Amino acid sequence: MNRQIILIGLNHRTASVDIRERFALTDIDNFEQGLMAHCPVLECMALSTCNRVEIIVVAKNNAEREVVDAVIQYWAAICKGKAELLWENTYNYSGLEAVKHVFTVASSLDSMVMGEPQILGQLKDAYRAAVTKGTAKTIVNRLLHKSFSVAKRIRTETAIASSAVSISFAAVELARKIFGDLKGTRAMLVGAGEMAELAATHLLRNGVQDVIIANRTLSRAKELADTLGGEPIQIENMSDRLPEVDIVISSTGSPVAVIKAKDVKAVLKRRKNKPMFFIDIAVPRDIDPDVNILDNVYLYDIDDLKEVVEDNMAQRHEEAAKALTVVDHETETFGNWLHSLNLQPTIVDMVEKTEDVAHRELRKTLKRIGPVDAVTRKALETLVLSVAHKSMHEPICFLKRRTQEEGAAERFIDLARRMFNLDDESIPAEAHLDRKNKTCSSQDISDLIEASKNKEQ
Amino acid sequence: MTLPKKYLKNLCPNRCTTTSRRCLMGLFNTLHIFIIALYALGTVLFLTGIITSNAKLKRIAIWFAVIGFSLNTVDLGLILASDPLALSGGTFYFNILAWSVLAIYFFLWWRLRLEFLAITALPLALLLFVSSMALGGIRVIMPPQLTALFFGLHIGSLVLTLGALMMALGAGFAFIYYNRKLKTKAGLASMGSAVPSLDKFDTVNRWAVAVGFPLYTLGLFSTFFWYWIAPDKHFTWDIMKIGSLAVWFLYAFLFHQRIVLGWRGRKPAILAIWVFVGMCISLIHHTITFRVMP
Repeated sequence: MNRQIILIGLNHRTASVDIRERFALTDIDNFEQGLMAHCPVLECMALSTCNRVEIIVVAKNNAEREVVDAVIQYWAAICKGKAELLWENTYNYSGLEAVKHVFTVASSLDSMVMGEPQILGQLKDAYRAAVTKGTAKTIVNRLLHKSFSVAKRIRTETAIASSAVSISFAAVELARKIFGDLKGTRAMLVGAGEMAELAATHLLRNGVQDVIIANRTLSRAKELADTLGGEPIQIENMSDRLPEVDIVISSTGSPVAVIKAKDVKAVLKRRKNKPMFFIDIAVPRDIDPDVNILDNVYLYDIDDLKEVVEDNMAQRHEEAAKALTVVDHETETFGNWLHSLNLQPTIVDMVEKTEDVAHRELRKTLKRIGPVDAVTRKALETLVLSVAHKSMHEPICFLKRRTQEEGAAERFIDLARRMFNLDDESIPAEAHLDRKNKTCSSQDISDLIEASKNKEQ
Repeated sequence: MTLPKKYLKNLCPNRCTTTSRRCLMGLFNTLHIFIIALYALGTVLFLTGIITSNAKLKRIAIWFAVIGFSLNTVDLGLILASDPLALSGGTFYFNILAWSVLAIYFFLWWRLRLEFLAITALPLALLLFVSSMALGGIRVIMPPQLTALFFGLHIGSLVLTLGALMMALGAGFAFIYYNRKLKTKAGLASMGSAVPSLDKFDTVNRWAVAVGFPLYTLGLFSTFFWYWIAPDKHFTWDIMKIGSLAVWFLYAFLFHQRIVLGWRGRKPAILAIWVFVGMCISLIHHTITFRVMP
């Protein structure tokens, strides 16, 4: 009984925002259960985020096309959309390709911002939902658990997520390089622009103690102070409060510099040379570039920050190559597990078959020798079963070894099933050309063995 | 694997050739090889860990250093237990200097989580320990007034000062390098994720000044004091004392600027490096002077 993993999905690369919105599954309860009821699948799980919708199903090996078609039809029907539209915007993978894709998604190698960890959390939520609904079974369970461990391994072994790739995160990282732990540091927003607010939010989230908001209109400063939990002040009072702060984020609409180098020099004296980090995200710039010349002062403008982000992005792409090697290796390992899953029923069938033969032969023998006591009967039973099991040991070991070889699993499993006639197929006439029209029965084999023994004697 | 004979000979202060002494020398020899191997392995692994950004390698390197340091402690104990006169040997000074560099590094590692400074501590410890073997032949003829108290005040405090300054040297170079990268906007990627903040490097420098300067003062002036009270010696100004005093003035300037005027960052980092260089010159001069002293 071979099973196949199939993945059908759409993402930011294959579908536009409106298509992604139309076919999103975030608000659809019991999607997986409905899918199990309407499509020929054994297990399933659906992941739906703003950038992607992916449906992982496990089906019988020979029904791939039928399954993809059924899933798309069901998906389109549930979202009240056209199946043709879905066909145009989706991709589908099967087998190890699907496994690799799941690992790639979990490791955020397929994300819009490569290396951002949100996708892993979303995948964990989707998996939890599938487990609760009972649609995730052996293969999906194993696949998802493995994908979580692959993601963790990639995060540990590569620097894919170690560098900031947004302006505000870059500002936080730079602040960390200067101050270390941001706990106890204070920040000031000069001007209350949206970007400055975002940067301040990130700084506060990363340990900055509090924030002073200096703005021309005090009402806007107060509004922002309520959101961020800071202190609002008039921009005119900024100079008096500058010695208290370690990080300054400036984003006013002023056409001239609002913070000059000589002012900062005086501030530094009052701060006893404690370092200061200036982030100027205004265009035209708010902070005199000469500020950067002063010792213990670090000034980054929007272009500098963009450059940092681009550098980090390039570094992430380099790390992605390392991560893909890990994904390939783990996909191969998972493939071996899948093959071993196919081997398991074959081994069970082989053992059952030999046990069956042993029992049949035992019955015949007992009939021949007449009544025996229970102890002798038990001993004979143990003997034949032991011979049956031991005779199966070597073929099973051989199969286990061979199915580990790349691309060999299916061939050897098929061979074993045919050798032991596990699927009760009739033997084709041409299979034994030297014994045409002659069926091979167990009696014949017994006779042959007897004959060879007599010959030896 | 054994050390060359000249080193074996140097290990025995009395150049004794009896069987028991040979046994002890054999023990020392093996111990020293182990210590050198551990420090060398630690250095190589840590540098490889830095280059490849491999945290595991760095952690293993530090553990090698911890084991090496423990054996170094045992070695120092054995040297003193077997022969208290070893205190006058060059072997002992460099050995204890290697030990103190690592002791101060471990303290910084524990207090500031500053694993990064192993980049200075491990190679220096290795260099000093190997030097201690090579300089075994140097025997310092001690002035009679140099008593046990002198060792406690003079040698002990100077060794600790030098250890602290060695760490300040590493932290100073790191500060200057990474400060420049931040100032020139070289990018976060070029700084590496495992590199500590500038503030931590500056803290090492502050400690080296705040603790090191009083220790150096104690070490230096205790000698002057002993010269002054010794009945058979008179204090005279010679190049050795003038040199040591010049270093002290430089250190005092740094101490004043740092503690009183609140200097931070690049300037004190540069000055600490110069103080370290001055101390090294002074130490080399001392070694040469003591070597020829009657």
